[in-house]
Amino acid sequence: MIGRLARHLGLLRWALLGLAGLVLVVFLLAQRQSIDVSYGQSPTPSVRIEEGSAGELSDATVPSTEEMTALVAADPVVRLPGAVAYWDEQQVREAIGGDDIRILVAPPGLDEAERKRIREVENASVRVIGTQVGGGSYLATPDRLTGWRAQFATGDVTGPLVTMIAKLRDVPAAADRDDLRWREPSGTELATVLADLRADGLHVGRGATLDGVPEDAARSAFPAGAWYVVLPRQAYGEALPAYGAALTRVDPGRPIVVMYGEWIEYHGPAADEFAELAGASFYAQFGDRLSRYDYPQRNVLGVYLGRVTEIRYAGLFDRPLPYQPLDPLRVALPALPWIFTACVAGYLVLSARSLRRAGVLAGLGGARQGAGPARLAGLTALALEVSLLTDARSNAALTRGIGKLQAARAALEKGLPARHVRELLDDATAELDETARVVGLPDYRPENYLQGRLS
Amino acid sequence: MSPSLLSWLFGGVLLLAAGFVTTLLPRRLARTRQTRVAWSTARAAIDSAAVSRDATAVRVPEAERLLARAELLAAEHGGVVAAQAASEHARRADELWRERA
Repeated sequence: MIGRLARHLGLLRWALLGLAGLVLVVFLLAQRQSIDVSYGQSPTPSVRIEEGSAGELSDATVPSTEEMTALVAADPVVRLPGAVAYWDEQQVREAIGGDDIRILVAPPGLDEAERKRIREVENASVRVIGTQVGGGSYLATPDRLTGWRAQFATGDVTGPLVTMIAKLRDVPAAADRDDLRWREPSGTELATVLADLRADGLHVGRGATLDGVPEDAARSAFPAGAWYVVLPRQAYGEALPAYGAALTRVDPGRPIVVMYGEWIEYHGPAADEFAELAGASFYAQFGDRLSRYDYPQRNVLGVYLGRVTEIRYAGLFDRPLPYQPLDPLRVALPALPWIFTACVAGYLVLSARSLRRAGVLAGLGGARQGAGPARLAGLTALALEVSLLTDARSNAALTRGIGKLQAARAALEKGLPARHVRELLDDATAELDETARVVGLPDYRPENYLQGRLS
Repeated sequence: MSPSLLSWLFGGVLLLAAGFVTTLLPRRLARTRQTRVAWSTARAAIDSAAVSRDATAVRVPEAERLLARAELLAAEHGGVVAAQAASEHARRADELWRERA
């Protein structure tokens, strides 16, 4: 019973050590720091995307710096093939006034080397790459939704261009104007779009580059489903068909995402409080890249839907969060030091116990000497009695026996193991036995003598 | 440094220390005890041999040489192996003297 308990305690000791090690490893692994901060663990991806891997580079290219310099010298406004930026010439002419401001307009989606060639055209005071307006060391970008809408829906860069020219001429800039015009979609247009939407929730207009809504992003952004109307970049100067408002009248309860080129609008439930926030945060962060590069519409829409998901998960609109299962590690983390401490304490206690069992802590003087002392006493008495009767022949054996007895006594006092004491006493017994044999007194043979004393 | 981190460090050090102590201490004690037992045996054997020498009338140079070597070993007080060698020498010397007695 006690043996089994002891064995179980031994096993428990190693189990505690193992658990302590495991807890320590878990603790160390949990120390990895993460920069992701998300209310309710939003499922938007936060992987880093390498330059050029999102399809933002186009096939467009630009001539050499010398050729472009020659072109700019010949003409105050040079549009390179593939350029997408337009502006209100009247306003820009007024902004330029009488100064010699030359404008170079390049296509979007150029790589770093091509953009460098454009920056090196020194006689172009203003360069427009895609819809990004730069001049000298300045960049001009819209800072409100109407500006971004004009820029990304129709390629209208009048606002930034006027601001940039005013900056270069060192005169106050004219106030921003919103010249974008809207029109009601015609009955046939709306019917076509509605037919598509009712079929699969997606209408892709002629000329749009979208090949499908990114499904994961769409599902986490609008779990109940949404209608997507995707149109190509609209011609500059023409009125935009206002599909958002029209479709909201058809189905007021449905989220509607309308995309004109790279401009995305949200209509539908909670649009008043939601659309501006989503649009402003999206274009404030990505407007710079969107203007320079030529992203496929699918990627733009995917990133926008990720932003919508993040806003939903930010808990700003009292929307219920999806159920998040408890992460056992996060729950257990505060308890880990205590578990570890308990394991250490248990291991220490059991170690001390095993040390005591090994006879270390209790000292060397063992109580488990057994019959050693009694036998020593008996043999010593025998040796004393026999010593009176010995002659020269038996004396040597007796002396050797007494020597062994002394050694046994010393061993007992020093706490040497009982087995060693027994061996010494065995030797002494043999010597005394020989003494008795030589003397010729069988009563003094240790075997008989000790038995006689005991009885 | 947070108290939690300290407890991890301290606990880890304690675990290591306890492991080393429980492994090394019994081993060392066992070795010391073994040495002492061996020397106890050796001294008892040398004593016996000395008694046998005194009890023998004739001189046995071989036995005296063995005993001298055993005493020399005992005087240097080496480890277990030395003690066993000393015991063996003393025992053989004892036997030689007893044969002549």
